[in-house]
Amino acid sequence: MIGKQLFEGYGAYTGIWDEMCFQDGIRSQYSQVYNDIAQLPVELLLQKDKQAGELFMNQGITFTVYSDEAGIEKIFPFDIIPRILTGTEWRHIESGITQRLRALNLFLKDIYSEQQILKDKVIPAELIATCPHYTREVHGVKVPHDLYIHISGIDLIRGQDGTFYILEDNLRTPSGVSYMLENREVTKRIFPGMLGNSKARMINNYPLLLHDILGSLAPQQLSNPTVALLTPGVYNSAYFEHTFLARQMGIPLVEGRDLLVDNHKVYMKTTAGLQQVHVLYRRLDDEYLDPLVFRPDSALGVPGLMSAYRKGNIAIVNAVGNGVADDKAVYAYVPAMIKYYLNEEVILPNVPTYSMEDEDARQHVFENMDKMVIKRTNQSGGYGMVMGDKAEEEEIIGVKKEIVANPRDFIAQPIIKLSTVPCFIDGKLQPRHVDLRPYALCGPGGIKIVPGGLTRVALREGSLVVNSSQGGGSKDTWVVDL
Amino acid sequence: MLSRIADSLFWLNRYMERSDSLMRVIRTHYILAFDSGTNASFDWKDVVSLCTDTTNEKLKEVSVSENAALSFLINDTKNFNSIKMLISRARENARGVQDNITKEVWEQVNQLYHIINEPGLTTKITGSHALEVIDELDQNNTLFYGVTDSTMPRGQGWNFMNLGKFIERSILTIDITYAHFQKINHQLGQSQDILFWRNLLISLSGYELYLKKYTRADHNISVIEHIIFNPDFPRSLIYSLSRVKRYLNFIITDAKIEGVDQLQKTFGRIISKVEFADMNTIKETSLPHYLYNLRNDLVNFSNQLTRIYFSYA
Repeated sequence: MIGKQLFEGYGAYTGIWDEMCFQDGIRSQYSQVYNDIAQLPVELLLQKDKQAGELFMNQGITFTVYSDEAGIEKIFPFDIIPRILTGTEWRHIESGITQRLRALNLFLKDIYSEQQILKDKVIPAELIATCPHYTREVHGVKVPHDLYIHISGIDLIRGQDGTFYILEDNLRTPSGVSYMLENREVTKRIFPGMLGNSKARMINNYPLLLHDILGSLAPQQLSNPTVALLTPGVYNSAYFEHTFLARQMGIPLVEGRDLLVDNHKVYMKTTAGLQQVHVLYRRLDDEYLDPLVFRPDSALGVPGLMSAYRKGNIAIVNAVGNGVADDKAVYAYVPAMIKYYLNEEVILPNVPTYSMEDEDARQHVFENMDKMVIKRTNQSGGYGMVMGDKAEEEEIIGVKKEIVANPRDFIAQPIIKLSTVPCFIDGKLQPRHVDLRPYALCGPGGIKIVPGGLTRVALREGSLVVNSSQGGGSKDTWVVDL
Repeated sequence: MLSRIADSLFWLNRYMERSDSLMRVIRTHYILAFDSGTNASFDWKDVVSLCTDTTNEKLKEVSVSENAALSFLINDTKNFNSIKMLISRARENARGVQDNITKEVWEQVNQLYHIINEPGLTTKITGSHALEVIDELDQNNTLFYGVTDSTMPRGQGWNFMNLGKFIERSILTIDITYAHFQKINHQLGQSQDILFWRNLLISLSGYELYLKKYTRADHNISVIEHIIFNPDFPRSLIYSLSRVKRYLNFIITDAKIEGVDQLQKTFGRIISKVEFADMNTIKETSLPHYLYNLRNDLVNFSNQLTRIYFSYA
């Protein structure tokens, strides 16, 4: 059997946007991939699939599942068929994300200083006051270049008609960029010809761009500032990514216990004594950063770190307190922020979001539960989500009760059928739902987004949940110019 | 270099050296145990007692059969000095310093870890395939040394790795020697048959060199001379300690911090006990005392080093 028969057997879902198929044809960005794979024997594809898995395993690109005392190492599933975007689609995404990040950055500056947006009643003050991630401790703290969001991963989905929507803003410590980069490296090995002929745009300069930005944030004018990456340690599920980025940038990977604060300055403990650190790319959540200010029981952070931050002796990336801007309830107001701060029309729309504090909206949602997804405003990773069309009656009654009790903790959105991409599963091509997380970097020189991003795919048939903790995998993502 | 990184590199190599030595001891004993009669004095109980920290009861329990001893020494997770536990801890240390070792070194440690965690390993060990397993582990351990030597950049990390390796090696040489001499109550005056010493010498990879260099019949004295004073023998005390001295000097030149003068003096006293000693010194102090004191000094030196360079916690 050869690939052509696989394509003939591919049944895209009706009424859902498929990234490859268009009515009975193949979209032009996929023609190269189609032509190449159509000629390959299925055995060879199976072999390539296996080879890809081995490449991830041997390099130790695994996460550990602690089910017994030993812990099992698993790879993050990778699907060999790439997800392809056209240059035109990319331009639209790029401008939309850039616009959104400019507005969000201005919002953070405003909310931690003048709070003009609250005074002008564009966003209700109660919403911010009740946001668990609003961090009073950093009110009035000046950050280098007024930049708060240096590294972001904004999730996009694509609806039935092909429109891109913003699903979620991740402005704290978004992960997955190492998978984006490693996926491409694996594709280079398994489909060298196909990748080369498609002229997919380069992404592997990401670590260099990131390193430049980190260096430019040093509090003083230094020719060679010390930049370090702060990790929670080897037991963190994203530890591979932390080592990967530190290695690619050539900066030390430190843990909280490697650092100390003396006279409001941060130092690393080295074999040659103490060495000052100027910029810290932390992959540790705010609440663990400094036991003197946040959670007193945290052993992962550095006592006194916030005092050094307030004095401007260390740049922390991303800034502390960004959680207020990617709160799921604040999300609904981002289009208003764009209008307020930039006076521009929104390029990438939000998914319609119903505030559960609004009585009418809540009524509407309760009447149409089978078309709604309920999300908790303070949860991520796909946890605590209720899909109205699939949930049991009991679960729905339960969540309704919880909403009535604590409306601020929930939002509702109409279920959007995410677009699909063919995946090579069990020796067949099958449609699976995907999202897209482009990684944007903001420095003093502006916003840069490497073309593509991480395509996450829900590997279970019919599932719309792409999170890796819930049976998700990923794909290499290409931007090709036609 | 971060203190934590230096600490992990130091222990990565200590654990690897220990597992390397353990494999050689097991392998030697396993093979020699087939030659009945000649090797009777040193048995599995002695091996287990030498290589682990075990209560007498447990010692009796695991010494009843070769299989029980092998499983306990190779892949028992309750034995903190089993090969499995040593490699797991080596890997934990490597994992925390992935950005400071080369990809090749990491992959080799990973490889060993996957071998020792292979399902069905116990069946292999207790079946008649024990030697296959030990050989595979041994080869991969040797590969670790080769890959480390040919890919790791020279510098502070390399110095700490080697410091760990040779401190551990000195202590292991003392332990293994002590255990064998204990069998004859440390009598240097008598002379055991060379067949008696074969187990010890092969365990230290020094048998052939011994045969070439020492042709006298008083093996008990010659074996001690070889193990302590032969500078050409890579597991002798004088060789291992001279390596410790070399890497300690590199480290101190690079990172001259408070307390290093004291550290250097401590080590100077230790190495002089070997450099400026001969068989007469050992006879005067008595062999068990000499070895015991040296071991103690080395452990104290290692602790002092830890306080000065690794105190980050």
